[in-house]
Amino acid sequence: MKADGTIEARQLYKSYGSHEVLRGIDLSVKAGEISCIIGPSGSGKSTLLRCVNGLETIDRGVLRVNGEDFGYVEKDNAYHAVSPQRLAEQRSHIGMVFQQFNLFPNMTAEDNVMSGPVLVKKTDRKTAREQAQKLLAQVGLAGCGHKYPAQLSGGQQQRVAIARALAMQPSIMLFDEPTSALDPELVGEVLAVMRDLAHHGMTMLVVTHEMGFARDVADEVLFMDDGIAVERGDAREVLANPREKRTQEFLERVL
Amino acid sequence: MMSTATTGSKTGTQPLPDLLPENKKRITPKRPRDYLCWAVAIAIVGGLVTTTVTNENYQWPVVFSYFTTEAILDGLVLTLVLTVASMVLGTLLGLLLAVMRMSHQAPISGLARLYITFFRGTPVLVQLIFWFNIAALYPNITIGIPFTDISTPVDMNALMTPLTAAIVGLTLNQAAYMAEIIRGGFASVNRGQYEAADSLGMSGFTRLRHVIIPQTMPAIIPATGNQVIGMLKETSLVSVLGVAELLNSAQSIYARTYQTIPLLIVASLWYLIMTMALSVPQSMIERRFSRSTRRPAPVAVATKESLL
Ligand SMILES: Nc1ncnc2c1ncn2[C@@H]1O[C@H](COP(=O)(O)OP(=O)(O)O)[C@@H](O)[C@H]1O
Ligand SMILES: [Mg+2]
Repeated sequence: MKADGTIEARQLYKSYGSHEVLRGIDLSVKAGEISCIIGPSGSGKSTLLRCVNGLETIDRGVLRVNGEDFGYVEKDNAYHAVSPQRLAEQRSHIGMVFQQFNLFPNMTAEDNVMSGPVLVKKTDRKTAREQAQKLLAQVGLAGCGHKYPAQLSGGQQQRVAIARALAMQPSIMLFDEPTSALDPELVGEVLAVMRDLAHHGMTMLVVTHEMGFARDVADEVLFMDDGIAVERGDAREVLANPREKRTQEFLERVL
Repeated sequence: MMSTATTGSKTGTQPLPDLLPENKKRITPKRPRDYLCWAVAIAIVGGLVTTTVTNENYQWPVVFSYFTTEAILDGLVLTLVLTVASMVLGTLLGLLLAVMRMSHQAPISGLARLYITFFRGTPVLVQLIFWFNIAALYPNITIGIPFTDISTPVDMNALMTPLTAAIVGLTLNQAAYMAEIIRGGFASVNRGQYEAADSLGMSGFTRLRHVIIPQTMPAIIPATGNQVIGMLKETSLVSVLGVAELLNSAQSIYARTYQTIPLLIVASLWYLIMTMALSVPQSMIERRFSRSTRRPAPVAVATKESLL
């Protein structure tokens, strides 16, 4: 069983020094589901996302991504860290989109999109280029392939970043506040690409402050505060009638 | 007045009333200090030219007669060889030191830091003389492969000729500076670049080769170019060891002929020619790398596109 597009996490704990950032988080995202994580700044949303693709390691808990233990193998009653090659392999099935885009500034948009297939999967350049052009068209950037990131607007850069992640044909896409660094008038074009992706059945875990997007697109919403999953449930239900006081207060502040 | 003219207009593009009936030229008056600066600069240059031409002690005919003599040209070649050799070796060693310095293993990075502190904290001239006299400290060393019987004793006096001491001294010193330049280049790459490469599943080597190193170059290459120009002039220090590079060759001649000033001019002119020749590619490199890293404002890009 491989790359089935599910994320299962139980009782995740993560500390930086003495600062406990994740304090027993549970998470369950089924294949093709869209799950949004909301919560105040510093509540551990990014950390949770980064644990799911191994940019951070967890201290305790069980994390299964794509139907298998992520980053560790269970052996002799303990979890052993996997080799860097194995970790890279597991990561290649998970796409990640960052708040700051993190495009490679030394490559054109097209080369950015091709970088995963060519450098990791060893796809031949011609095939990779055709795929990259298709993906750029899919995110509304046909004809922009020759441009360098510095020549693109924030919204365009973020769409290239999404195309770059998609080029690895991941079964899961992670988004960490993908529109938070954008000028307001550019948010819509990125959200549109994400909506499109959601309709095509991609499993998505999205940290966002865009409540409209969460309400329209998400299946489930998780409200995090101070490293704890305070409330979880059907997206429209949680956003319209939050049960927890902390969720109510947060939604009042952002809406 | 103006606001009442625009508000209330339905289209918003109604023309404002003219303030100036016709378009008149705008003039910035020249001020006395603009002329004064020119006068001072011309006076200084004029004075310098006059004295160099009229003062016979410059002995320009002697300068020209020695300018391309064999001894000087041989010295020139050795200066270039020293520059290239110590830059290449210094960069390689500097790379190793930079990698050590960035290591997460505290003892390794500590060693590199110690090296860099020591070699940047003492004068090159002292270091050169020190290496030349290293035999006083270690008269004999044994070079061998550890845990085998293969070893050979080396007489340090024979090994440390002036030329070896020159290359060793310049290289070891240069490595300390190159290490800091290379480390600075890596420090200039955003952490997010590593994460983006990781999230695509790149191996450490691929990440380094295709993502990180290319981004260190805008910081490293121009700085290295400056080091080359600096090294070219720094090689003149090894004249004290008796290495017959450009300055030493000039000195050998004036030791015989007592034409000190004209021969120093010969050497200086050659240094000037070489540094100027190097500064052409250097400024091209600097321009290229400053352009590729300059980010146009997203707004400017957006307007340009909407016009197209
Ligand atoms: N690398 C790190 N080292 C130390 N503390 C960190 C690190 N990354 C995040 N933190 C801390 O962890 C907490 C949660 O951060 P983060 O997950 O980025 O929150 P969010 O994304 O919800 O704003 C914050 O208090 C932050 O300061
Ligand atoms: Mg965050």
